[in-house]
Amino acid sequence: MMIKRFLILFICTISSIVLATAQDEWRPSQFWLDNGMEVVVLPDHRVPVVTHMIWYKVGSAHEAPGKSGIAHLFEHVMFKETDDIGPGEFSSIINDIGGRSNAFTSYDYTAYYERVARQHLGLVMSLEAERMTDLIINDDPEGPFISERDVVKEERRQRIENNPSVILWEKAMTKFYEDHPYEITIIGKMDEVAKLTPQDGFEFYRKYYSPENAVLLVAGDVTEEEVRELANLYYGTIERSKTFDNEMPWKKVKRIQESSTIVHTDPKVRQPQWTRYYNGTSWLEDKELTVSLQVGLSVLGGGLTSHLYQTIVEQKQLAISVGANSWSEHDEGPAFLSGSPVPGVSIDELADAIMAEVNKVLAEGFDEQDVIRVRNNLAANAVYLRENQQSMASTFGRARAIGIPLDDILNYADLVKSVSAEDAIEAVRKVFGVDANYIETRLLPEGEW
Amino acid sequence: MRLIAYALLAIALAGCAYFENFQPPQMPSLPKFGSSMEVTVHEGSFTTIQEIKTKRGASVWLVEEPSIPIVSILMSWPVGSAKDPEGLEGLASSVVYQMNEGAGDLDSLAFQTRMRELNMSYGCSEQLDRVRCSITTLSENLEQAVDLVTTAFKSPRFDDGPFERHRREDIVAIQRRATSPPAITNEILNEVLYPTHPYARIPTNESVAARTRELALEHKDKIMTREGVIVTAVGDVSPELLAPMIDKMIAPLPKKSSLPDTSDVVPNPPRKEPIIAELPQPQSLITFVGRGIARDDPEYYSAVVLNHIFGGGGFESRLMKILRVEKGLTYGVGTNLESSLKHTNLWAGSGQTKNESAGEFIDILKSEMLRISTEGVTEDEVRKAKLYLDGSYPLSFDSNLKIAIQMLGVRELELGIDHFDNRSLLINEVSVESVNRLARKYLKPENFTFIVVGEPKL
Repeated sequence: MMIKRFLILFICTISSIVLATAQDEWRPSQFWLDNGMEVVVLPDHRVPVVTHMIWYKVGSAHEAPGKSGIAHLFEHVMFKETDDIGPGEFSSIINDIGGRSNAFTSYDYTAYYERVARQHLGLVMSLEAERMTDLIINDDPEGPFISERDVVKEERRQRIENNPSVILWEKAMTKFYEDHPYEITIIGKMDEVAKLTPQDGFEFYRKYYSPENAVLLVAGDVTEEEVRELANLYYGTIERSKTFDNEMPWKKVKRIQESSTIVHTDPKVRQPQWTRYYNGTSWLEDKELTVSLQVGLSVLGGGLTSHLYQTIVEQKQLAISVGANSWSEHDEGPAFLSGSPVPGVSIDELADAIMAEVNKVLAEGFDEQDVIRVRNNLAANAVYLRENQQSMASTFGRARAIGIPLDDILNYADLVKSVSAEDAIEAVRKVFGVDANYIETRLLPEGEW
Repeated sequence: MRLIAYALLAIALAGCAYFENFQPPQMPSLPKFGSSMEVTVHEGSFTTIQEIKTKRGASVWLVEEPSIPIVSILMSWPVGSAKDPEGLEGLASSVVYQMNEGAGDLDSLAFQTRMRELNMSYGCSEQLDRVRCSITTLSENLEQAVDLVTTAFKSPRFDDGPFERHRREDIVAIQRRATSPPAITNEILNEVLYPTHPYARIPTNESVAARTRELALEHKDKIMTREGVIVTAVGDVSPELLAPMIDKMIAPLPKKSSLPDTSDVVPNPPRKEPIIAELPQPQSLITFVGRGIARDDPEYYSAVVLNHIFGGGGFESRLMKILRVEKGLTYGVGTNLESSLKHTNLWAGSGQTKNESAGEFIDILKSEMLRISTEGVTEDEVRKAKLYLDGSYPLSFDSNLKIAIQMLGVRELELGIDHFDNRSLLINEVSVESVNRLARKYLKPENFTFIVVGEPKL
């Protein structure tokens, strides 16, 4: 019942930096309101529907010590109540206009969106403008803030604590990001979340939720002029809060000082997993390297045609899966190698085989044709991206929220096509070179290490 | 399978306010004629469907969308895993796996490399009652993409390499089922709902070991036939260009196949006590399943409205309001009408809560079932459910692939091309009385079997 190979697009929205658009006649527009709020409009006239998104440039990286999880819990609280919107009324209004809304939080940003028929764009702007300025945070010690805190604890159990592989991933990222603002998982530590108060929420709101700290993104069946008029009407009248000092927590991720291994065993594990995380890069740190690395990792370990898949899974039949990947936000994310052995093959045997193949490829370099194919695929994603309004909106919104220029996204296809076989292999050598330190993780069944 | 680790990773990265729930996706008609094919045009309020009868007799629904240079084609056959031969459970999955793993002169690697060269995607998947294939390509490569798929339909290789690789993947998947809460729930449900029906059969080590290349190839001809196929397409392509391509792809398939019909499920009585499967984790997955309503039942849309009010409508549903917003017991709870299976209809729901509160969670579910089945729903709840169910329909048409999937669903269930036009009326005709009648009949707590996976304190 599983659809075998269609998960790829979903993963890209998180792991790769941008997918872009290449068609000449199609162009988004970008402008700023007088209060500093940025506006991006992405035309898509296929259906009379719009996707409206507000991206606040604040995420878990901005949290004060001991207050982990406030960015995400606060995102939930934004759906509760304002001066003019009663408890539960936000979702009720969206329901009644046949719309959908949701929100998500990351290290660097928090985004809220509504998908509605085009005639309701003004209404959803009025709702978002209202909760940007007039949110009410109920401080009843048994009230809605507290029950929402319990919801987030359930969310943490569901997303992380039920899943041994995610528990291990969290441990590895905590180590990878030691002394960096991304050190704590976005959702926060359970014991710290449990102590968050309505006052914490209110302070967070006052500091970070303001028009100059937000990007408005509207994709769909609208023109720039329509959006400009509505945005000025609903958002343009909001004054700058002046509480946000533009101080971003971003900093260089420390190089991994020495290689180490984290083992996690769990009685629920039936299939061992092996991963090695290395220092990677990010778009804003090194755009060229990021793109070269995307191409290189895909040739090395992206999908069935890759070196790793062909040798480790197909020829040697040591693994069920194998791959090379990377992701990043504003700051560097890891580049990583991973694999899961077939029954009867040990993790050591698999790790040795994967590293031998990686080292062989690093020594021999890439075949020009493999590189051309991969970069054409990545460039074609620019066209495919426009197929889904919501994914397109998210890609552009995320880029602007962390500071990637619009032109970088629009020129992605050209940039990726300029990557040579030499650039690609050099990028991979840089991250996976024999001298590079790493954090290795092993997920094993209980009693097997 | 190969990508599960990354999907998990991606899920862990971001937190969301709540799970997005999906609701399915309106349209009249004018005839027009092409060269050697027939085209009937249905002008609808969202989109215009061209119903094409190709030269070889295939029926294709096409929505032309020239603004982006992409074409998506979907195909569906009415034979799924429920028709796997006994002792060979997983055979249909083996067939669909091999459909992009080499054909003609191209072995697996060469076939996949060709797909990459064309920047296209193509793959097939199986469900209980059907097999679907999906092709998406840049319009400039449409012809080559169709040629490649034609080769796969005509002479798929089913080589030992990918065939044995799939067997290895299946063995691992069977191992993993033992500690996967949804898989454990499913296996219990199979036992409870229809222990002797083909729907309950799943791959085992023995059935996977018994599978051979020859059996799979033979089974492919029973699934993928010319007479059985349903086609929908959306994108930058005209009927004149598309019709001969569809004919080309299906030409090599056998005309028809004869597989014995599957009987309908004879429903078992629900279990009185919750069924518990112990699994060491902090949360319990609580699933509840009862009898559902047939898709062609005249009161189907009353059931859709009722489901929205009870548990299908996200934050607006009664279950979310009490279990999440009021009590903070769960990140998400929802219900779903399963009316698209051929041989049974179900009404199911699920949510997760910490083990300590599993008992309270089930008590509240039951008291809400009792309340809605005895006291009914309000006029206002029905009004709001209709507003959403009708008003949100266009959101299901805002991408080419979504439109193609919507049309395929309508065709598979034989709802008719005017379904898109009639749906709004059918929803708006729903009365409070009929919703309440259905609530009394279907949502009584004693109609449901509860399954709990975790370490629940009940």
